[in-house]
Amino acid sequence: MAEQDWGSEQYVLEHFGGFYSTGAQHVEAPTEIKQREFGFLSFGGRTMFRHIGFEDTEELRRYLRNYSPAHSYFSAAYYQEPRAPMAEKGWIGADLVFDIDADHFDLPCQKTHDRWTCKTCGEAGKGHPPERCPGCGKATFAEENWLCESCLDAAKYEAQKLLDMLIQDFGFQPSELSVNFSGNRGYHVHVRSPLAKDLDQLARREVVDYILGIGIEAEYQGLTSRQVGGGSMLGRGGWRGRTIRALYDFVGKSTPEEIKALKLGRNTTRDLIEEKDEILSSLMNQHPSRIVRYIDKKSMEKLLDAAVDEQASAIDTVVTTDLRRLIRLPNTLHGKTGWLTQNVPIEDLPDYDPLTMAVAFNEGTEKVYIKRAPEINLQGEVYGPFEEETRELPLAVAMFLLCRKSARVVR
Amino acid sequence: MISEREAAKYPFLNDAVTLVETLGLTLEDLMDPGHTKVLDRAERRVAQAIINGEATSELGDTITELLSFPVGNMFITAMGEQFLFRRYALSEAVRAQGLLKDETEERLAKIARLEFGWTLRLVDESLDGRLYRFELLFKDYLRNAAGFREPEWKIVNRLMREGYVLLTRREASRLLQEEIQRRIADLVSRRRQISLPGPLGAKVESLKKFFDENRSRLTGEDLPSELMTEAFPPCIRHAFEGLMAGKRLSHMERFGLTSFLINVGMDIDEIVNLFVSVTDFDEQFTRYQIEHIAGLRGSRTKYTPPTCSTFKTHSVCYNPERLCQHIKHPLSYYRIKVRDIQREQGPESGDEAPNTQAAK
Ligand code: SF4
Ligand SMILES: [Zn+2]
Ligand SMILES: [Zn+2]
Repeated sequence: MAEQDWGSEQYVLEHFGGFYSTGAQHVEAPTEIKQREFGFLSFGGRTMFRHIGFEDTEELRRYLRNYSPAHSYFSAAYYQEPRAPMAEKGWIGADLVFDIDADHFDLPCQKTHDRWTCKTCGEAGKGHPPERCPGCGKATFAEENWLCESCLDAAKYEAQKLLDMLIQDFGFQPSELSVNFSGNRGYHVHVRSPLAKDLDQLARREVVDYILGIGIEAEYQGLTSRQVGGGSMLGRGGWRGRTIRALYDFVGKSTPEEIKALKLGRNTTRDLIEEKDEILSSLMNQHPSRIVRYIDKKSMEKLLDAAVDEQASAIDTVVTTDLRRLIRLPNTLHGKTGWLTQNVPIEDLPDYDPLTMAVAFNEGTEKVYIKRAPEINLQGEVYGPFEEETRELPLAVAMFLLCRKSARVVR
Repeated sequence: MISEREAAKYPFLNDAVTLVETLGLTLEDLMDPGHTKVLDRAERRVAQAIINGEATSELGDTITELLSFPVGNMFITAMGEQFLFRRYALSEAVRAQGLLKDETEERLAKIARLEFGWTLRLVDESLDGRLYRFELLFKDYLRNAAGFREPEWKIVNRLMREGYVLLTRREASRLLQEEIQRRIADLVSRRRQISLPGPLGAKVESLKKFFDENRSRLTGEDLPSELMTEAFPPCIRHAFEGLMAGKRLSHMERFGLTSFLINVGMDIDEIVNLFVSVTDFDEQFTRYQIEHIAGLRGSRTKYTPPTCSTFKTHSVCYNPERLCQHIKHPLSYYRIKVRDIQREQGPESGDEAPNTQAAK
């Protein structure tokens, strides 16, 4: 079967154009606009238009009105000459940016809305693709990844943990942080601070390791076999407090069955069950090294891993360490959803719901033929699942399906 | 104003530099026999960098100690050896650190703040059986510690709150050592290479000779100074050619190749250029990593390439040849092959082989 214009690109382009004719007015320039590089992807285009620079906000808005790009980005970096080729741009510094994308998580809901198809033998399944195809053993798959409230909530939760660490551990001011819904499956956090601006790549890697809890060792969390003085660490800031609080919660909350399920050392398992009160009171009142005698080394590593897993924020490692990264520009449209990349004030984040707030095309309906799509909850209403059917849908839903190339307009 | 003794201990400080300037010494002055002691001490500083990678402090004669530092820098610049810029800077920084760690907290803090712009607070906290005396802003911490490999330097393993990292006195002076090393390396490498007159030039010549005698030990063991790519073992040749062809190397291939090239004496700048030109690696970052492997940073251990068996586990071993059956290490392959090739090239160059080894 020939490509039947899945996604009706021309139609979507026209609607993006309609949006930007008034919506461009709401696009704010990033700070230091003259030092930023911009990049855009057009509909149907495969290559990115990069190395674009603007003198002021008006020029940027005019560009959006004229070209209605499918995707709009700006650099986290500041350059002397943002329009110059990469080697000659003159890197001045860069915001510290974090990308949280539910696509990288392992979530139960993905089993309901994501699918894979083996490109070799056609075998298909739900969720993330397996390492190798059970049918033919090859490893190339076509993926159809969707999203739902659960993935978006999971991403938001990770963003909140990240904000906590940036504020409490790194001491950034809330006013230096901005959070954007990515317009698809996640959140971006930007740190604009003189303390962050000239961190080099190695330093940023260390920050990433900190946020992910990579390289944490028991010995340096106060869990040394050497008995040392000092008080409880439960209330301590930073990872020290985080690991100890997670241990405390785990020991306090777990039932004997749950503890056994972890397959820790035999003595450790017994002690965690029988000496539970003693361990909890040690953690509450004394230095964490007091509990090391109850837990063997291997078991301690396992417990610590679990604590780190729970406390760390699942950021993408590449984005933060890339000093020349382009990031989505807030209040522009995301070409794979038709939703807005949207700035969310930190205090509003707990109640923020992208599936109502970030929807751009609010009026009218459109008739579309849908190849296949899972259930989607948009603006409080549930639509689908769909399979090879023609439906008249609210424009927001139709645009979403078109942007994902799972439908085409029926005229 | 800084005392002469303080300036002699830390001659790279701005105040010390000013003090030297007020003395207004010219090159002619230095060639005066009255300054022989200064030249001798400067020569010794350089020699100590070459031999030990760590200069001693000679504070008995403070003015000689102070003046010999800029003269030593001059010698290093005049020698024009990239490798020595960093080794000398390290040697002087380690010397200074030995003194710094016994200074009072106040003195340390003053140097850190005024000279290196640290945002630092004095504290007094006993935790985990250690006495923490400083809190350093994470940005200043990372500038110096991000390259260290030891787990205790990772910020995840540090006590940090609201952007400040706790440090003991010894740790603070260790981080200052990094700042000092950078400052001195900048100092000697930024200046234009000069040729020095008279007795100064003579010192430079004899230091050059001394370095040449030690070069192989420092940079490439008993291997020829010219890189012989035709003597590379199959695994290294494969990785090398892959890199040139723009292939993405695995972590182990990259580490193996880099440490191999360093150990057979390839210049660090050449290796950096090699990686940067064929990949999209960031130059600064690549340099940092390579300097790590070369032992110029962090733990200061120079890494030798992995053994054949490690290469085998990580599928870096590639089409092993007959010679491979008799060796356990890719470097041994190179050594043997170099000797074979030199022998084949006839008696003259063949005669040189034992010589290079004798110089070891
Ligand atoms: S045997 Fe050793 S030297 Fe030979 S190819 Fe394998 S790893 Fe390289
Ligand atoms: Zn298959
Ligand atoms: Zn989901």
